[in-house]
Amino acid sequence: MKKNNYDKLLLSAYIDGELSQAEKKYIEEKIKSSLELQKELADLKKLKDITSSSIDRISDSPFFETRLFANLNSNSNEKRNFRKWIPAVSFSVITIALMLFLKFNPNLIDEVIEEQKTNIAGFYKENLQPLLYAANLTNEDIFNFAFNQELPLDSTNQQVLKLGYNEKGIEYFEIKKAMSVSEEDNFEKFVAALDLNDKEVEMIDSIIGSYSEQLSGMVLVNDKNSVAISPNIWNTRKAILADILSFAKKHAASDYYKMVPEAIAIADDKSVLAWVSESKSVKDDKYIFCTPDSIFREAFEFDYVAFNKEMENVSRELAEANKHLKKNAEFRFKIDTDITNDDNAKQWQKQFEVSVDTNLVKVFVQGIDKDIPDFPEFPEIDFPDFDSIAIIIREHTNNISTVSPRVPNVPDVKRRDNKKKFDVDVKTGNQKKRRNAGINLDSLMRQNNLIADSIHSEQMKMYEKKSKSDGTDLYYDNGLILEHNKELKKEMDELRKELKKFREDMNKTQTDSSKNRNIKKVILKPIEI
Amino acid sequence: MDYKLNENNEEDMQQPQILSLDDDFSLIKRFIDGDESVFSELVKRHKDKVRNIIYITLTNSNSADDIAQEVFITVYKNLKKFRFESQFTTWIYRITINKCKDHLRKKNVRRIFLSLKDEEAEPVFESINEDTDIKEIVRNAISTLPDKLRMPLVLKDIEGFSYQEIAETMECEIGTVKSRIFRAREALKKVLKPIEKELML
Repeated sequence: MKKNNYDKLLLSAYIDGELSQAEKKYIEEKIKSSLELQKELADLKKLKDITSSSIDRISDSPFFETRLFANLNSNSNEKRNFRKWIPAVSFSVITIALMLFLKFNPNLIDEVIEEQKTNIAGFYKENLQPLLYAANLTNEDIFNFAFNQELPLDSTNQQVLKLGYNEKGIEYFEIKKAMSVSEEDNFEKFVAALDLNDKEVEMIDSIIGSYSEQLSGMVLVNDKNSVAISPNIWNTRKAILADILSFAKKHAASDYYKMVPEAIAIADDKSVLAWVSESKSVKDDKYIFCTPDSIFREAFEFDYVAFNKEMENVSRELAEANKHLKKNAEFRFKIDTDITNDDNAKQWQKQFEVSVDTNLVKVFVQGIDKDIPDFPEFPEIDFPDFDSIAIIIREHTNNISTVSPRVPNVPDVKRRDNKKKFDVDVKTGNQKKRRNAGINLDSLMRQNNLIADSIHSEQMKMYEKKSKSDGTDLYYDNGLILEHNKELKKEMDELRKELKKFREDMNKTQTDSSKNRNIKKVILKPIEI
Repeated sequence: MDYKLNENNEEDMQQPQILSLDDDFSLIKRFIDGDESVFSELVKRHKDKVRNIIYITLTNSNSADDIAQEVFITVYKNLKKFRFESQFTTWIYRITINKCKDHLRKKNVRRIFLSLKDEEAEPVFESINEDTDIKEIVRNAISTLPDKLRMPLVLKDIEGFSYQEIAETMECEIGTVKSRIFRAREALKKVLKPIEKELML
């Protein structure tokens, strides 16, 4: 058995060609005489073939050298291991550093954002100039602002800034086209109603005039289409109103109480004055900026003195160079209607509510005159509701206008020669906006649905004929006239009666008002800014 | 057939091998003198053989290149200490085989801890169907041999090493190589016994 094994061992070495000559001779002899070894040899050769062909050569590795030299360049295994960790380590170090840094400087991100904001704000804050300067505020304008909360924004009075409170009590301002061009001399009427003497008129002139500069600095614009409005304008308006009312109360108490019920008259004068002077001294530096792409509140200081100086120079130069330029200069306030209430707006929606129309920008601002940060609180005085007083006074002053000496001829019923239309110039308190609007009978009849449109013109001819022959007596006997002509007749009679009464009244007041003429001249003095 | 081819290859290579020996030595001398650029030439000459030895020794191509990289890095680091006492090939193959042994040792250590899972992953020869590639069966059979037996067998039958070369590479006696190859063949025969007929066809 052992020998058999030895033979097999030799056989294995034999097929590998690794036997010495003696061993080779020995085993070859053996193979010849042994079938078992012959079979064994065949098996072994077969096995060797199978083994050697079982494993293919490994496929080429084209990047083997590249990889190797990269590895060699990193020198040692240790270094290589370390390098493997460099990205991870550096990232973790950076992360930890950032975390620590932010932990101790939590405001960093806020500061970065704030800085960006400031940059943008700076862009829009450039070159801001008072808008109201261009509007050439008169005392009348300021007076109207105090009472009506509307400030003209340009000299042609096409646009106004309106302050107000919505139903929720949130402050808003809108920039819009003036709905009606108010030309009433409310201030004059007010002064007239108070029956002030010359000195007192001068006083109230100067009181109101003193606000002109303050107001001018509150609405600023520039060429980037941005508008800056000082929130303090809400309080300034109240201050002007309070100032006017307290002056009126002081100097013309009896006339004042005629207009204002005593119950809602102003509280103690001293506190009003204190309040007013406080409002004048407060310099709220946080303007509300409306720009084409954002609305924000930012600190801004307007150097009115420097501006005034500059404007003086400019106007002097202009006056010297060509005077007509200044005359024609007109400020156009452009509103970018692309401002929309998009999603980005959510951030400031808490603070602002903006609605934009083609000819109107309306911005609601919450908590403007109540809790502005850094805004010194006004003394706690229980003030009456200025606005309601303003309404009452407005009504009264409007009624006064019916006795205005400026229009001594009204009411007047004229008959125009050929057209036979009645032009009635009515100026009553309730019709202030249509002061000079002609009322003709034509439209009256139409309003009453007395005459069908189709036959209107023909009927008018008839009517004109009749009235020509009959004088003022209107009479219709034509088939074209509808059944309601009797009612028309009645109305016409009533109207005529009213007109008669008006004429009498006017004649009476004409004499009364003559004494107011002196005052009027003083008032009409134009106010320079 | 393959056997004969191998024999022919060996004969063909004998002439250039002598030349290459000189070349290896002269390259190494230049390397020792400071010209490290010649190392790439050495790599170029020997990488295929080294990679193949690893491949057949491990019967696994996945980690062959990684180990080959390690081999050449070791060569690079130690080349300046080369004493010209043996052929460069013997030296580099010895390094290669040692790296393979290291690898297998680590793998065996891992296998101890992962024995349950790995047993399932081990090649199984229980069932053989017609589609099974005979080469693959033999490869798997070889891979089941103990490292000690498998290494000389594949170096002999696949790489065509002589017993002398194997002994030098594996740092053992020629007699040991002879007997290990014999035992490897005996073991392989046993493993392949169930499919003897298919193999003989």
